Amino acid sequence: MNKKVFSIGFIVLFMLTTAYINIGHKVIKDFSLQNVDGTVFSLKDHPEAKGFMVVFTCNHCPFAKLYPARLNELNTKYKPQGIPLIAINSMDTLVYEEESFVQMKEKAKVDKFNFPYLYDAMQVVGENFDAEHTPQAFIIWKENNGWIIKYSGAIDDNGEHPELATSYLANAVEDLLHNRSVVNPVTESFGCRIMYRK
Amino acid sequence: MWKKFVFLLLFVYTINIVNAQYNNLWIPDTLSGKNFNLVIKDTFAQFKTGNQTITGAVNNNKFWGSTLIFQKGDTVHMNVKNTLNDSTTIHWHGAHLPAVMDGGPHQIIPPGTTWQPYWKVTNNAATYWYHPHLHDMTMAHITKGIGGFIIVRDTIESKLALPRTYGVDDIPLAVTSRSFTSANVFTITDGKTISEYGDTLLTNGVTRAQISLPKQYVRFRILNAEIERGYNLGFSDGRTFYVIANDGGLLDTPVAVTRVKLLVGERVEILVNLGNDVVGGTVDLKSFNSGLAFGFPGAEPNKSGLNGSYLNNADFSILHIVVKAATSNAITALPTKLTTNTYWTAANATVQRNLTVTAGSGVGISEFYFDNTAFNYNTINKTVNLNAIEQWTITNSQVFSHAFHIHDVQFKIVSRTSGVQNYESGWKDVVYLPKGETVSFVAKFEDFADSVHPYMYHCHFSNHEDGGMMGQFVVKSTSSLPLNLLSFTAQLDQSETYLKWITSKEINTSQFEIERSTNNIVWTSLGSVNALDKEVNNYSFVDLNPKFGINYYRIKFIDTDGKYNYSNIQTVENGSDAFQFIIYPNPAQNKIYLQFKDPAYEVYYIKLTNEIGRVIYMLPKPQLGDGLDVSKLAKGVYYLQVTDNKTMKTFTKKFIKE
Repeated sequence: MNKKVFSIGFIVLFMLTTAYINIGHKVIKDFSLQNVDGTVFSLKDHPEAKGFMVVFTCNHCPFAKLYPARLNELNTKYKPQGIPLIAINSMDTLVYEEESFVQMKEKAKVDKFNFPYLYDAMQVVGENFDAEHTPQAFIIWKENNGWIIKYSGAIDDNGEHPELATSYLANAVEDLLHNRSVVNPVTESFGCRIMYRK
Repeated sequence: MWKKFVFLLLFVYTINIVNAQYNNLWIPDTLSGKNFNLVIKDTFAQFKTGNQTITGAVNNNKFWGSTLIFQKGDTVHMNVKNTLNDSTTIHWHGAHLPAVMDGGPHQIIPPGTTWQPYWKVTNNAATYWYHPHLHDMTMAHITKGIGGFIIVRDTIESKLALPRTYGVDDIPLAVTSRSFTSANVFTITDGKTISEYGDTLLTNGVTRAQISLPKQYVRFRILNAEIERGYNLGFSDGRTFYVIANDGGLLDTPVAVTRVKLLVGERVEILVNLGNDVVGGTVDLKSFNSGLAFGFPGAEPNKSGLNGSYLNNADFSILHIVVKAATSNAITALPTKLTTNTYWTAANATVQRNLTVTAGSGVGISEFYFDNTAFNYNTINKTVNLNAIEQWTITNSQVFSHAFHIHDVQFKIVSRTSGVQNYESGWKDVVYLPKGETVSFVAKFEDFADSVHPYMYHCHFSNHEDGGMMGQFVVKSTSSLPLNLLSFTAQLDQSETYLKWITSKEINTSQFEIERSTNNIVWTSLGSVNALDKEVNNYSFVDLNPKFGINYYRIKFIDTDGKYNYSNIQTVENGSDAFQFIIYPNPAQNKIYLQFKDPAYEVYYIKLTNEIGRVIYMLPKPQLGDGLDVSKLAKGVYYLQVTDNKTMKTFTKKFIKE
């Protein structure tokens, strides 16, 4: 049993070590993606933002479907504090019909998204972030006029029961807002896999 | 009703996790009839406290899928819709069916696509299953939980006094195990640090499963649905139980045992008598893996790390049974006779094949191969003649055991180094291949010849299989050449077919009859030529009016005593647009029909894609008489690609859905 705990600890440590290499250094290039409201979204058009919560999500994934209300709440709380939330769909729309832009618009309407829902048609932004699953959250933070990843992983630790969940994403935002280094900069991401066309 | 029941069970089980020692066993819902709808999907399930685990399942389930009930003799039509965001395949494990319907690594179902295989059920009553089989992804998709039981019923089994009330005295058990990350995500072995064995046992997707069963004979259909672990089944009080069926059918008589080894992919049907238990009494179905020698999968001493598991080399419960009152239709006696099987023997085999388990590349999960060759999509490793009875002998001198599975056939184990167990004496499609043993089985490869789509043989440990321990074989029909036919050719020239054949040493041959067919089924005679009876004889015949499309030709050799046999078949294609077809009506709203210039035309495959190239339907050997239903398609332009059954050439036509 001790061995098991040790081994899990080791794996987690290993993952964190690997992650630390990326976190805090990986620079995200600006991008221009179509929003479901018909506008085009770019980071540079939001000079007031200190950072962004970037959530990769999609239309069909059952686990991602558990989160719209929580995403709205996060945006409501942190957008006024300079950290708005944006959602990006990087799913391969060629193979997955339900991920089409038309259906993204529909989903944003039905779920009353109060944040941009962006269509990463060529999957380049997803690849730039190394986004692997939906939902998967990142925080990018403005430093030296560039955007640095400060958090990567799950939104929280309970999909079906938000009342029991610890919000990793909100905690990381709080850390950053209080000029602390993020206590848990990387958590395990899971959900539906984003398949890249290559 | 079943669905509601299932949800209720899941709900109860979720609540129970908090404070109960046991959770109620979930019994999969059943689907029966001749048309089956299976939706393969991503979902999630609550296995542990904390976050839900991302899983895969079939239909409205959370892990695993509906049980399909087939009647032997029925033609079953499957609508398999893949709603994963990843390609997959669904293999009908144990079923005897055409290779193109088999759901092996070649019958890929892209996301959003519906695959519609169908076949006539010829398998005997027994327990089969379905599971993903996409090469490199089999372990990932099986780990998610995608799969389900198939129960075949037939007239022989139905007449026996056996427990047969599903979920009451006839209980399916899919046994497997999983490990979880700290975020409750299933782990998958990388061949380096993460184990292929789970720490948590799942019986039908339930941890610490229990069930109340009536005080009478109860039947279990047990499937080892693991990635790699083997089970050494028995009951906690050591009671005798009875094996009544193996993978592919009933045994002749029940076999009394106290332990049964069940490797990955194997099924065993057992009867256990609870009639002498007291109501409220308990007994556990267990796996007795402690003390097993290294080599048996799961006998390793390691509790963690690669090859490690909490359950390794341990005895653990699979199902906690609480005895309740008997049912009104209780089975209270053990049948003495089940069926009469006629098995192939080693003496029946006309072909001997030897396979050797060899070391793999050692990179990642590529631990073992067959005959030093890793699986390759484009390599056919074996060619079997249609109707051949073959003996396959697999030698495993490597450091570890395996579970050898072959598609298409049910086989009879004829020898193993340590002796064939009585409980594995029936029809099998997976055989335990312990380290240091040689195992031999005999099978007949009947009914389905296909030179394009292969069947698989592989180790059923999905990490081994994904790592390349798999090969493929085609079953080829052979029209044997009469010994004295040296050559036979057919050539089309200016819309006339020139047939030429050369014979030697004719003995008692009187004449040759030339036959033509447009469908390789119905033959008509075009004329005859008398035998020349020389040392070497050259013959020719001209068909002045070949049919439009494919023409098949054969020569009938007629002896002086009236006996005859046939040459091989030659084909010519008359007209470059021989396979043109039209789609009508076009535009279409509900159904489209295909009209071929040649009414006897046979389609091997139809693939329907939309304007941007997304595959919507994949239809192996479709039955086109009633047209194709397009009513559910979105409006737009579609492409229908037809693959010719004979030449494997493809032809594509466009149509519009209104």
